[in-house]
Amino acid sequence: MHTKQTYLPMRNLKSFRAASLLVALTASTLSPLAAQSATTSELESLREQIRLLDQKLRSLERNLELKEETAVADAKKLPKLTASDGRIEIASADGANSLRLRGLVQADARLYLDDANAAQDGFVLRRARLIFEGKFADIFQYVIQPEFAGTVQILDANINAAFTPALQLRVGRFKTPIGLEQLQSDPVAFFNERSVVTNLTPNRDVGIQLHGDLFTNRLNYAIGAFNGVLDGGNSSASTNTSFINPEGDFTAVARLFATPWVNDKESALKGLGFGIAAGTGNYRNVGANLNTLNPYRTDGQQTFFAYSATTAADGDATTISPQAYYYNGPLGILAEYVSSSAELTNAANSQEITNKGFNLSVGYVLTGEDSTYKGVTPATSFSLSKGTWGAFEVVARYAEVDIDDDVFDGATPLASAATNATKVSTYGLGLNWYLSKAVRANFDVFKNKFDFEGARPLTGALSDDELAFISRLQVSF
Amino acid sequence: MKHKALFALLAAVAFTGSAFAKNIELLNVSYDPTRELYAEYNAAFASHWKAKTGDTVTVKQSHGGSGKQARSVIDGLKADVVTLALANDVSALHKNGNLLPANWQERLPLGSAPYTSTIVFLVRKNSPFAAKVKDWEDLAQSGISVITPNPKTSGGAQWNYLAAWEYGRRKYGSDDKAKEFVSKLYKNVPVLDSGARGSTTTFVQRGIGDVFISWENEAFLAVKEFGADKFTIVVPSISILAQPTVSVVDKVVDKKGTREVATEYLKYLYSDEAQEIIGKNYYRPTSEAAKAKYASVFPKVELFTIDEAFGGWTKAAKEHFSDGGTFDQIYLKK
Repeated sequence: MHTKQTYLPMRNLKSFRAASLLVALTASTLSPLAAQSATTSELESLREQIRLLDQKLRSLERNLELKEETAVADAKKLPKLTASDGRIEIASADGANSLRLRGLVQADARLYLDDANAAQDGFVLRRARLIFEGKFADIFQYVIQPEFAGTVQILDANINAAFTPALQLRVGRFKTPIGLEQLQSDPVAFFNERSVVTNLTPNRDVGIQLHGDLFTNRLNYAIGAFNGVLDGGNSSASTNTSFINPEGDFTAVARLFATPWVNDKESALKGLGFGIAAGTGNYRNVGANLNTLNPYRTDGQQTFFAYSATTAADGDATTISPQAYYYNGPLGILAEYVSSSAELTNAANSQEITNKGFNLSVGYVLTGEDSTYKGVTPATSFSLSKGTWGAFEVVARYAEVDIDDDVFDGATPLASAATNATKVSTYGLGLNWYLSKAVRANFDVFKNKFDFEGARPLTGALSDDELAFISRLQVSF
Repeated sequence: MKHKALFALLAAVAFTGSAFAKNIELLNVSYDPTRELYAEYNAAFASHWKAKTGDTVTVKQSHGGSGKQARSVIDGLKADVVTLALANDVSALHKNGNLLPANWQERLPLGSAPYTSTIVFLVRKNSPFAAKVKDWEDLAQSGISVITPNPKTSGGAQWNYLAAWEYGRRKYGSDDKAKEFVSKLYKNVPVLDSGARGSTTTFVQRGIGDVFISWENEAFLAVKEFGADKFTIVVPSISILAQPTVSVVDKVVDKKGTREVATEYLKYLYSDEAQEIIGKNYYRPTSEAAKAKYASVFPKVELFTIDEAFGGWTKAAKEHFSDGGTFDQIYLKK
């Protein structure tokens, strides 16, 4: 049994057993002289010795086999640690429980080539995030994403109960399911800054969302109820509902996005997706807590439009966004239109205004890798010793946002025509260098052209059209 | 528009959506040799449940050494039901995991043992000891090689061990003599598998050993599959009445919402249809009708119970299989 054992590989044992038997048999049966001289009892004795030897070796083999089985079974029970380019994860042996550590660092260099913004040149730590995500019991997924760049805050903190791919329930703080580019993970977007049209879509909010993929991933749906945030905004991290949801009503949001040919591998339309998203809610002021409004920013992150400080939402607001993308090999196209209506008030002046915008972005991976909504995975990583360079992608974009003219009307206008643009048209060109799956460098040039209700301001960011060169080095895993 | 109404509707849909699952899945964590039995029984029960409720139930099986299986459930394996080799392993789920109540054995008829079995010898016909194995004492003779699993992990092995012990006590007159006898027997064991099915592999497929101390059903299956020309079943003068026991794992079924179907799954083991399947798979049925039908299949043997011989499982386990118990004394000494 488990007495003194010497480890021998199984194959060697089998060979040894066969050799031993052969030698013994040869000795006992092939030599005529030995056979003649051997008595029957001696032969019996030899046969018994062979049998015992065979049994001993079989037992040894089996015990080794059992030890190996035990070792394999024990190994399967151990948690798995995965550490590779773009992935650090600890998972239970069955994969039902996991913790994945992710991170995002974006270091920008901003250079403004126009006359109005030269003073804004500088280096910026755009994003610095540690992301913890994982799951428990194979169903309950979680994300906790703090932001350390700028104002330290929790961006995402939510739990997603994935009962089935088609039936999932997310609660907590997460992206409102409206803007196509807004929903795309920032590190994989074509440009280092999203287009101006995302000024018109809500960003992160606190709420509950039922969502899932139907018809074998051909249709994605999301329907949710949120506290409600206005254009480009994030909900407050406050736990005081009279502050974060003063009117006590919820904003309802729904999104349908179809990818009908996603499973047809040979189809040229495999990468086509289109859909529509909408959200509507009541932002009526209650008491002294105003539904404040966010400024709109250019591609170069300068403010081109801001409501007056005393202007607030006071009524219903509705956002509608038809949207589509198309990816085919190295080509990627993303387009969306957004109409954002809201009832706003400034003193005695109340208006229902509608701001509109659209974005058309195109990317092409020069090195041939596939372009996808989830980004580009380079075929090689940059390595001087290996002579590999990673992947390169060129990108172009046109986007515009048109502010409702009524904003500037009245004795107490919602926004001042003297200091705000009424329309911005933006042109972007860029080069993305994927040094590895986790490391990307962007070099983008943005031209932002402004229209005004009256005369162009003589000073400030809008005194000249914006021409910005923004480069970035990012690590995202 | 009152968005609160929409919110309430959304929440209601979300929280009730999962309640409309059409398929029910159960996990039966069982001991080693019951694979064939439960494969057949699960199909029968699924039909029964479908006819009764219209729901589709799929029962997944997990098998291994009984003690090892009990530890897996205590460690988190989500078993709706356990069908283990001995009551002590099921009781461990109460003692070490509080997964079921202390009185679990009272919840089903016959102490929650819907079938029984016993321990016999499977003897290799071409062994020089083939004609020399008649009873337990022959397993302690010099030179013979005996296969039995590890009592630390296998319920079947514990039945084997205690059956041998009781034989020794009756034959030689005291516990000390019984220990000496069992010690001699285990010196003849070259391989300790973790479960009964592993020992069957060792003996039948790997060709190791002269005798396999085996569950009765396992011995019948081996003869049926590999031929009566290779193996023969020897029934000792006395053996133990092995009572594999079953229970719902309360904490799991309450969490999963499967109590009703899991309870019925075990109750149905006492039905005529199930008892027929039990007999067919060489387990001794407990219903009078099935017992009568299969009477000729099972050899007559004097059977003693664990309560009669050892004062119940708790006492027997503590004395023989706990750390430092008689098995450790024998095994470590070896």
